[in-house]
Amino acid sequence: MAEGTGRGEALSIWFFVGIMTLAYGLVLLPYGAYEWFGVHEAPTVLNNLHPTFWWGFLLTLFGGFYTLRFRPRTAK
Amino acid sequence: MPSAALFLVHSTQLTHLSPIDVLILALYFAVVVFIGFYVKGSTNTSEEFFLAGREMSAWIAGLSFVSANLGSLELMGWAGAAYQYGILATHWYWIGAIPAMLFLGLVMMPFYYISKTHSVPGYLQLRFGEGARGLSAVSFGLMTILMSGVNMYAMAVVMQTVLGWNMTFSIWTGAATVALYVMLGGLRSAIINEVLQFVLIWAGAALIPILGLIEAGGWTNLKANIATNIGNNSYTHLWSTLGHFKDNPMGINWVGIVFGLGAIISFGYWTTDFLVVQRVLSANNLRAAKMAPIIGAAFKMAVPLIVIFPGLICLGLMKDGQPLFHLVPGAVAKVTGQPAYDQVLPLMLIRYCGPGLLGLGITALVAGFMSGMAGNVSAFSTVWTYDIYGAYINKRADDKHYVLMGRVSTVVGMLISIGTAYLVMNAASIMDYVQALFSFFIAPLFGTVILGMLWKRATNWGGFLGLLAGTVASIGMFLYTSTGSAAHKAVALSHIALSADAQPMAENMFRALWSWLICVFVTVVVSYMTKPKTDAELNGLVYGATVIPDDGTTSVFQKPIFWAGVVSVVFIALNIIFF
Repeated sequence: MAEGTGRGEALSIWFFVGIMTLAYGLVLLPYGAYEWFGVHEAPTVLNNLHPTFWWGFLLTLFGGFYTLRFRPRTAK
Repeated sequence: MPSAALFLVHSTQLTHLSPIDVLILALYFAVVVFIGFYVKGSTNTSEEFFLAGREMSAWIAGLSFVSANLGSLELMGWAGAAYQYGILATHWYWIGAIPAMLFLGLVMMPFYYISKTHSVPGYLQLRFGEGARGLSAVSFGLMTILMSGVNMYAMAVVMQTVLGWNMTFSIWTGAATVALYVMLGGLRSAIINEVLQFVLIWAGAALIPILGLIEAGGWTNLKANIATNIGNNSYTHLWSTLGHFKDNPMGINWVGIVFGLGAIISFGYWTTDFLVVQRVLSANNLRAAKMAPIIGAAFKMAVPLIVIFPGLICLGLMKDGQPLFHLVPGAVAKVTGQPAYDQVLPLMLIRYCGPGLLGLGITALVAGFMSGMAGNVSAFSTVWTYDIYGAYINKRADDKHYVLMGRVSTVVGMLISIGTAYLVMNAASIMDYVQALFSFFIAPLFGTVILGMLWKRATNWGGFLGLLAGTVASIGMFLYTSTGSAAHKAVALSHIALSADAQPMAENMFRALWSWLICVFVTVVVSYMTKPKTDAELNGLVYGATVIPDDGTTSVFQKPIFWAGVVSVVFIALNIIFF
């Protein structure tokens, strides 16, 4: 049984957590890279730390792990 | 929503969303609505719709438990309170939550769980009869609807201030989305979204304290800057300034914090407010039901990082030796056009987050708003269906009818909340309003429930009349301190809080304390005057008349008491560090 979504369902609640954060990571990571390497940083405080890139990177890692770990599998 | 909203901009907005922000917000809305449709097939019975089939693990129930409380009011209001009152606002997350959560898990959950009640009013019906159930169900229904309206209003204000969105548009779009996914999937859908929202709130808000502390040069420098900006160091101490009302920015003393907040309001909210207790009732076994509030407590302790720290950082930022920000109360802000206390979080978000991260931060605020509203509306529909409609209006309908009633009452509840949101637009201060609501109903309800669980001698009449007396006394004290001339209000406040130096926040604490004491006093006196119940009638409901079943734990690491001990140690350490 997929955890949290009801008997007989394939998608676990943790899969939703993973896919959502992975999606955000995959949106932020390339945009952060474009800002950093294309010298298009937004005029925010501490933009020299490239927060969009690094936060996108962390979300991609977190979301990727949860998506893989809790991906729907065929029942044996 | 976002693309349409771009055409509804207001001229005084703080910022605007770029296409990547709109994409992030749109993704969020798409997923939450998808979840509603996805779990609809698993919500066919009343047990599934109202209690998520009682099949949630401790982690899911625990995260949902803490997330249902993490609404936009929490995020915006307490970030503003941290700017206004300093680190004292953290008390609402630590002493004002952690002991109560642990008590719920270890002491009260066994009774809620083994009595198989569907709701807190349902427990009161089993313990004290129909009178106590009816009174608590009606007062809870009223409170949740008002709270839901307050939540909607708070979010609409944020959206108008930050992005210039029309308030009516924000209220209706948010309400329609929440109503849709709760109506389709009931508590199951609400819980899944709450877990998701909890993660998103952290993903969107955690960068603010991280970057803020880097800019401030660390916690020690931040404290020094705040002391310079304020002129003293009372804003960065949790306990050392609570000896007297005059010594701290909140105008309260340790008695109010420990007994009013820590012992009454906190225990009342976290152990008897069905909005949060409902999440734990969805647990799949007794151990999970006991562990869920403990897991929730562990996460709750960390929330000040994303709520209180932004307020403190805003307070400590300097430019050319002067405070960078000068925020004012909401009423002043309306006249002068300066930023208000409640705008701390958006201001910090804009300061540190460019396109993409800004969208994530706005999504976090929207997620907080929606989890708070979903919590209110799902709890309302359960209490309405089980404890008002099913108890007094239509007792003999079949299960399908009650599920249908649950779906209908979700939509109707949301419509009433929308009406409430428009009413709240005239209220001066959001937080004062919420505090007043809490102490009207929650403090006396805690008196009734705790006596019901721990004292066999409490009788039906004692429980009902105690609850009634406490609630009436609370409303009476509120009217006494909030009507008449300014001079009268000051005198009334000094009577309620027992000090002429007390400020409105202290009044809320002491009003809760008095209403709880009145409830307990009346319950005890009336109980001794009326016939007690037998042990057989109280089996499964009261300590001393119930054999608590084994929760199935074998090793020490599985035992809820062990993890409650770990949380307690961290809680004490944090209070000492920030003493």
